[in-house]
Amino acid sequence: MHELLRSYGRTLTGVFITLTAFWMLIMILLPQAFMIEHSLWWIDRDDQLGMRIDRAYSDMGLLEFDLGQADTPEGKADIQERIDGLKADIAAMEAEETAPPKHYGFDNYTKMSALHFEIFLKSIGYSLAVTILALIVCYPIAFTIAKLSTPNKAALLMLGLIVPYAINELLRVYAWLMILDYQGVINSLLAWLGLVSFEDKSWVPFLEYSGSVFVALIYAYVLFMIFPIYNTVETLDRNQLEASEDLGAGVIRTHLRVVIPHAKPGIAVGCIMTFMLSVGSYSVPQIMTRGKSGDWFSQLIYRQFFESQNWNSGAAYSFSLVLVCLGFILIMMKVFKVGIRDIAK
Amino acid sequence: MRGKDVRLQDVVMRFGGFTAVERTTLTINAGEFFSILGPSGCGKTTILRMVSGFIRPSEGKVLIGDQDMGALGPARRPTALIFQNLALFPLMTNWENVAFGLEARGVDRKTRRDRAFDLLALVGLQGHEEKSPNELSGGQKQRVAIARALAVEPAVLLLDEPLSALDLKLRQYMRAELKDIQRKTGVTFIFITHDQGEALTMSDRIAVMKAGVVEQVGDVDTIYDNPRTPFVATFVGENNVIEGRVTATGDGFATVETPHGMLRGRDQDRLSVGERAMLFVRPERSARVNGVAPDNVFDARFERRDLEGSFVNLFFKAGADSFIVHEANRGGHGGLEGAVKVGFNAADAVVMRAGEIEAEADDA
Amino acid sequence: MSTQRQGRDWSTLVLDIYVVVFFVYLFAPLLVMSLAAFNAYEYPSVTQWRGWTLQWFGELARDDRILQGVVNSLIVALGVILVALPLGLSGAFILTRLRGRYNNLLYAILVSPLLIPGIVLGISTLIFWGRVDVPGGLFLTVMAQGSFIAAYSMLLFMARLQRQDRGLEEAALDLGASSFFMFRRITVPFLMPTILTAAVIAFLQSIENYNTTVFAIGGDWTLVTEIGSRFRFGLSPVINVIGVIFVVFTVIAASVYVLQKERERKRKLAR
Repeated sequence: MHELLRSYGRTLTGVFITLTAFWMLIMILLPQAFMIEHSLWWIDRDDQLGMRIDRAYSDMGLLEFDLGQADTPEGKADIQERIDGLKADIAAMEAEETAPPKHYGFDNYTKMSALHFEIFLKSIGYSLAVTILALIVCYPIAFTIAKLSTPNKAALLMLGLIVPYAINELLRVYAWLMILDYQGVINSLLAWLGLVSFEDKSWVPFLEYSGSVFVALIYAYVLFMIFPIYNTVETLDRNQLEASEDLGAGVIRTHLRVVIPHAKPGIAVGCIMTFMLSVGSYSVPQIMTRGKSGDWFSQLIYRQFFESQNWNSGAAYSFSLVLVCLGFILIMMKVFKVGIRDIAK
Repeated sequence: MRGKDVRLQDVVMRFGGFTAVERTTLTINAGEFFSILGPSGCGKTTILRMVSGFIRPSEGKVLIGDQDMGALGPARRPTALIFQNLALFPLMTNWENVAFGLEARGVDRKTRRDRAFDLLALVGLQGHEEKSPNELSGGQKQRVAIARALAVEPAVLLLDEPLSALDLKLRQYMRAELKDIQRKTGVTFIFITHDQGEALTMSDRIAVMKAGVVEQVGDVDTIYDNPRTPFVATFVGENNVIEGRVTATGDGFATVETPHGMLRGRDQDRLSVGERAMLFVRPERSARVNGVAPDNVFDARFERRDLEGSFVNLFFKAGADSFIVHEANRGGHGGLEGAVKVGFNAADAVVMRAGEIEAEADDA
Repeated sequence: MSTQRQGRDWSTLVLDIYVVVFFVYLFAPLLVMSLAAFNAYEYPSVTQWRGWTLQWFGELARDDRILQGVVNSLIVALGVILVALPLGLSGAFILTRLRGRYNNLLYAILVSPLLIPGIVLGISTLIFWGRVDVPGGLFLTVMAQGSFIAAYSMLLFMARLQRQDRGLEEAALDLGASSFFMFRRITVPFLMPTILTAAVIAFLQSIENYNTTVFAIGGDWTLVTEIGSRFRFGLSPVINVIGVIFVVFTVIAASVYVLQKERERKRKLAR
């Protein structure tokens, strides 16, 4: 901090600190804190309450009628007492209706329905599969561009990667909707081969399988795996490859012992990004299911917020997602033995 | 422009647990060319940064022209620093570089442009005003840096090894140039260097530093002829070293018992008999003994001969000690094989208390 | 020896084929999507071909919601640039100068928005500002997008600052510059290329963001959230037209970039 003061003076240093503090508190920490807080309470809204209030009012009407009919003072006093009691009950119930009691606890987490929990696990599982598949698909590509191409060819290939990446995620995924549609490209191909027929609607309903979301996820996030791996492999000294080969190592051994250890941070980053983007993707399932229900965890969260209006459980679901990502990052850091500085570069 | 004097009073500089500069009091006179000479890491750059105001001393005061600099930042001191890597602003033209200090002081564009052009002319760079510093050669960059520093009319110019990046020829040329500019402007120059040749050729006075301590301050002849410590004796110029034990003193001379016999030299530490001592004698004050014998003579074996051009270095071995003799190159250096006698006059040798001498590897 | 040589050629061939297949995989869907924009059939398709048409381009030009979406996207992107760049720059300055153990903690906090899902950023922003009765809308979108885009620009600025010659700033101060003057005259010009890069990246990230925006946008909409809602109601080739426009823009930008690079290389060679 001293150094900052010395070169930039009090005013500028103050501006830097203020802005950073604003960013850290107002845009990162407090929103997270409020979301967590939101996930830790719920409003106990009694669905029967309205009905019970109505019933109490009609009971009171009856009692008031009885009060007029009653002849003995004792009877009157008795009925009056019951009316007062009812009035107190109604007041209490009405108070509860306008300001329902707020309870703190972990219910938003523990009361996740079996269906929702299954979706949660499925989203994680699919995302892990996407990550592994993307790694397998991308590693050779990244290696080819980084080490086996002439500079010109490498630049061209990089451009070929950046162009689709620069096109909007929604539109990129949308292409797959058209490919997998009932009368889409693949079904047309199958029809041409005579395997399905459009007339009797015997097409393969790809979009109804959750595998279609999976395919689109890989397509959407593959590139996030390539760039980090490329960046680390690129820094590998070509002589090391030649030395390894010269010492008699085969292709596979060279990769296992030389390239992959060097590319570790890049692989870790690629996996973290791909997993995080997949498990938290709202766009891809939204498009592949044409905005209809769908069963991806992110869609569940969206519905909690904008359809069930249950922000509390939405916050809990959302924070669960954060925990999953955090866990994944920690595992990757442990497995690849890299630090936070290597990860976010 | 007029130079001002710089005084360090009981200055100490500590970084955490490490003391970069031990308690030092030092006066640099107004208008002199003063060098601080020492190996890397000796604290000379720290002193420079204290004077320029980038760091504040842990203890003590820095005064420039009798004014306590206190907590004044570099921007408000009457000093200008020439950085080791020059630190020219790459995104500005040369004249904009030179005019930067004036721009910072709010001088209008026309005035500062004229001033910058004048200064670039002074350092011999007419016609390069609109170029970028990157288009200049090493020596030219050097001059832009000097012009830029002079533009703010500093009373003290601080130079942090500015010649170290240049090749030998250019370095020698720039020495004369710097000295010339100093004389013309009358500004106090404080020059930091680890190159003793640089310090000797340019300076009026030199401070020799080692490990945070100023070992000796003096004019160049004093430093060269009367080094106060073994370190100064070996760091500044070359010196033959012979160790021994004092056997007699008197008349300002001391006699030392060495493996090569009794040798005499000037006694500058008022040594007592029995003390361990070191005798230093410059190679150019040593000679092969043919006819008239000097005060000290001993036997040595010839090892090899290096031709330096105008003179030759003759390397001898006497027991475990090396002994070097510089001889003017007058041709014909025969008759050297085998055992010879070498020697020197007692007045040319200095005897002092044994201490740490410069390590060979440090000779950068 | 010769067998090894041959094995090498084989594996190179396999790898080459693999690369080609991969790029077909990347580009074929874009081709399918683009083609459907020119099909005179009201449902986006390339298989039910009813002839070439440009009618969908005309319809896009008349689609007020989409046009308004474009305007909103631009507003948000501008806001994000104005918010994210100063924040990222400040964070970078502090992180490159701050020493000690808090450095890593601060770093982890500031880059965390890059490591958690975008929808979570949208949700937390929505909840936080909801507490002070600010509903979802363009402002919240700027706040939510800004939180992670600022982290991107911070990483860019840090990379640049690490290559900074501190001597230049010291030289400026030594020549009598105030820290403000030094900042304006030395530091900002040094950072200028990165400021431009960061602005472009912030712009692109903001324009194309969906996951965060969809939660923070409230009743408003941007181009991308409007496209998103069209999948539910009224899917038509107008969406494909937008896709074509994106593709064309990207290809033009990429070509300009390549040509620029090429010219720079030639200029360097000529020297």
